[in-house]
Amino acid sequence: MVHKLYRDFVDATQKVFNLMLNISDVSEHPSEDFKCDDEVDIVVGVVGDLQGKIVYRFPVSTSLNMVNIMSGMEFNAVDVFVASAISEIANIISGNVMTTLSDSKIQCDILPPEQYKLDANDNKKYEIATNCCICTIIGKICLEIRLNRAS
Amino acid sequence: MLWKDNYELGVPQIDAQHKELFRRVESFLQVLRSEDSWEKKLPKLNETLEFMKKYVVEHFHDEEEYQKSINYPGYEAHKQRHMGMVGYVQEVSRKYEQSNYDENLMQEFGGRLLSWLINHVAAEDQLIADYAKKRG
Ligand SMILES: [Fe+2]
Ligand SMILES: [Fe+2]
Repeated sequence: MVHKLYRDFVDATQKVFNLMLNISDVSEHPSEDFKCDDEVDIVVGVVGDLQGKIVYRFPVSTSLNMVNIMSGMEFNAVDVFVASAISEIANIISGNVMTTLSDSKIQCDILPPEQYKLDANDNKKYEIATNCCICTIIGKICLEIRLNRAS
Repeated sequence: MLWKDNYELGVPQIDAQHKELFRRVESFLQVLRSEDSWEKKLPKLNETLEFMKKYVVEHFHDEEEYQKSINYPGYEAHKQRHMGMVGYVQEVSRKYEQSNYDENLMQEFGGRLLSWLINHVAAEDQLIADYAKKRG
């Protein structure tokens, strides 16, 4: 299950980079300690057969590059516009994964994306907990998958 | 430019509407992101917003009619996506008017619209064309 979810999120992210940003060269590796000085963190809650959250960690430079490619406009800081565009991308990736899961009879819904403050002291335990680092020519992003099976 | 040729579906009416929509969204974003003061941007911004609100509904309707004409199996699900966006646009414009044209609301709307539209046209609308081609 951990492996399937990891794969589904990687595939959905690759698809979004390919279709929305025209970036097909995307590699991925599990990552326990993703380090980044300045990042935009977006959380997408999951409810249903699986419950928990996905945290998307977008370094500032990756975020600015993504919005630049989509709009053709220059951005030099993460403002309300950039954060909202990036949140929608987290929403799209998560939504695509939920569709994939429903094909294997796992029914979940996602909650609207929210900006998030990473909390190093948050040591709540999840049955399914895995991190994946996605590397592209416009920068990295990190996905933290934290889910429990509904009892 | 916001529009990319690989977004084309090969359905002339829909492609023309997509291009027009992207052209309007692009000019909306250019005004939204320009250095001018908010007061100065407002008339042009509100005008484009009003146009887009009507045009989106028109386009969604025509695209849904096209899907019906080819018996597209994803019709219902696709219609839900359209309805979700129309609902969002209506809700934002209501809040925007109530707030007396708050800039943050529009910046947030612009960012989400950008990502939503690109994904919708590049991924979800493409599925209609894929189906039409397969069907022959
Ligand atoms: Fe469309
Ligand atoms: Fe559509």
